[in-house]
Amino acid sequence: MKKVVACYKWVIDEADIRVEEKDHSLNFERAKYKISEYDRNAIEAGALLNEEKGCEFLAVTCGPNVEASLKDVLSRGPASISYVNEEWLADVDSSVTSKILAGIIKKIGNVDLVICGEGSSDDYSQQVGPRLAALLGYASVTFVNKLDITEEGIKVERKLEDGVEVLEVKGPAVVTVLPDINKPRIPSLKQILAAKKKPTEKISLKEIGFDINASQPKLKTLSISGTVMERKNMQINTDGLSIKDAALKLVKQLNADGSLA
Amino acid sequence: MTKFWIISDVAETSYELLGKARELLGDQEGIITVYLIGNETTGQEAIGYGADLVKLMELPPDTTWEQYAPVLVQEAQASQPEMILVGATRRGKDLAAQLAALLDSPCVTECKSIEYDDGKVILKRIIYGGLAEKIIECCQFPVIATVASRTFEKWTAKDASREGTIEKLDLPAGVNVQVVERRSKPQEVVNIKDASIVVGVGRGFSEQDELKMAEELAKVLGGEVACSRPIAEDLHWLPEDRYIGISGQIIKPNVYIAAGISGQVQHVYGIRDAKTIIAIDKNENAPIFQVADYYIVGDLKEVLPALTEAVKEVKAANKG
Ligand SMILES: Cc1cc2nc3c(=O)[nH]c(=O)nc-3n(C[C@H](O)[C@H](O)[C@H](O)COP(=O)(O)OP(=O)(O)OC[C@H]3O[C@@H](n4cnc5c(N)ncnc54)[C@H](O)[C@@H]3O)c2cc1C
Repeated sequence: MKKVVACYKWVIDEADIRVEEKDHSLNFERAKYKISEYDRNAIEAGALLNEEKGCEFLAVTCGPNVEASLKDVLSRGPASISYVNEEWLADVDSSVTSKILAGIIKKIGNVDLVICGEGSSDDYSQQVGPRLAALLGYASVTFVNKLDITEEGIKVERKLEDGVEVLEVKGPAVVTVLPDINKPRIPSLKQILAAKKKPTEKISLKEIGFDINASQPKLKTLSISGTVMERKNMQINTDGLSIKDAALKLVKQLNADGSLA
Repeated sequence: MTKFWIISDVAETSYELLGKARELLGDQEGIITVYLIGNETTGQEAIGYGADLVKLMELPPDTTWEQYAPVLVQEAQASQPEMILVGATRRGKDLAAQLAALLDSPCVTECKSIEYDDGKVILKRIIYGGLAEKIIECCQFPVIATVASRTFEKWTAKDASREGTIEKLDLPAGVNVQVVERRSKPQEVVNIKDASIVVGVGRGFSEQDELKMAEELAKVLGGEVACSRPIAEDLHWLPEDRYIGISGQIIKPNVYIAAGISGQVQHVYGIRDAKTIIAIDKNENAPIFQVADYYIVGDLKEVLPALTEAVKEVKAANKG
């Protein structure tokens, strides 16, 4: 039986972040966490390989408060989750993340296929997948929108700027998936209840031989500044104006602005 | 910093990266090596644009371009570059990250600016789907940075008679990734970046047939139809060259009309420089209204045809 692991990141929902107009700082007060958008596709891809091809399917993650994510992820298909939960992982770069994930995957052992999202919703550095492949000595295959597991390895289609590459990989691989590979499920009540009984494993850095001093982040954030846009924000169909009249009013306004020329 | 590398599967982008490397090098003695897909002519062109040494790669017919990673690692260990600029195509980003892991190096994806100051490299990139800009400092070398095409200018001191060396780079043998087939993408005839009026369609359209309403409006306005990412990537209703946003096209039209697009940051990033933004959405709390100049709250099935009629009327009046 093939062993498949999906990696996911538990991120702040960027739609909840407010940019303060006065100093362009970011306000996270109302921000909730979510499974990074395209990692949902990675998890779904693993779940489908389990349901349709009988693969063993597990999930892994690391981050500052990932315990809050476990139930949600387990209801989406994996049999268990192995994770590293450390406060200081809040501001690390892809080099640290990929080393920890590689450590967890090696500890799980005999993993045939690792699936990651194409990039995370927050940083979108798109590095963890290929970095993991390099660290594990697996083949790296990115931007995949069709994935099938075979006796010898995998068969995939990847979407590039100039077209499609159809590939066959022998041996273990790390793939990163595009959002159109599948439609992530909305877990059913049964799946949500079943998730409560699934095991999770909290892993220490020591267990995976991760040396904090030797693996400090290589990049330092100097500043983060939100971008603001000045716009008129004028609603046209106010005071019971019909759509027809509003449309005419808008087009006349554009005409007056010189935008129709 | 005096030793630069440039790697790109698109030759044109490597010339732009050369411009940046030449700028960072200034009048110091240094060496810039370019790894690109191309032939002798492309190599000579790169030398004209500022390369000292060119190593020609190929798009291998039976495996992926990224299989060059281990060869590049050996080269890097021998020549010790301090900065490696990689063209941020999908292939480029994959290769750059693998190289970074193998060299245990920092890597910054899709940089908007790169400066060097007193032993430190300062890089800028966009995060949170376009909501914010992050400034990053890096003091560990080699630093790898990927850069999208048209971010930097080519070297203005281009000299076609500059001299340099051109060599061929060999691929490693015995790779485990096989190309079964490559299908090239049909070339888009229109470039939505050139359109002065763009009508953007989103998931508010419930059937592909409804796109006709947007096409009609675009037609009377002399504009083009574009879309949000899910319309192109998930529904395949429009070609991928037509989706707007941080991972798609960045446009600067005179007028952008968003219909049935909720206005998530990732999309809005692509229309930031539009002169006028108009939004149509049936949800009065849609975030798109916060970035619009003018908006109509309503069903697009009603609003779009009304707009088309209004444009005809106003244009007729203009003529008459
Ligand atoms: C890393 C990453 C990168 C991304 N990059 C991009 C990108 O480059 N570009 C991009 O567009 N997206 C991108 N996205 C996706 C983005 O987050 C949103 O999911 C997407 O933009 C939403 O598309 P939409 O507005 O068409 O759909 P929705 O968010 O579903 O909005 C549909 C809107 O239509 C309205 N509506 C419904 N019916 C009607 C009707 N009859 N009349 C009028 N209005 C109606 C609804 O009220 C709603 O506001 C990215 C996401 C991630 C995580």
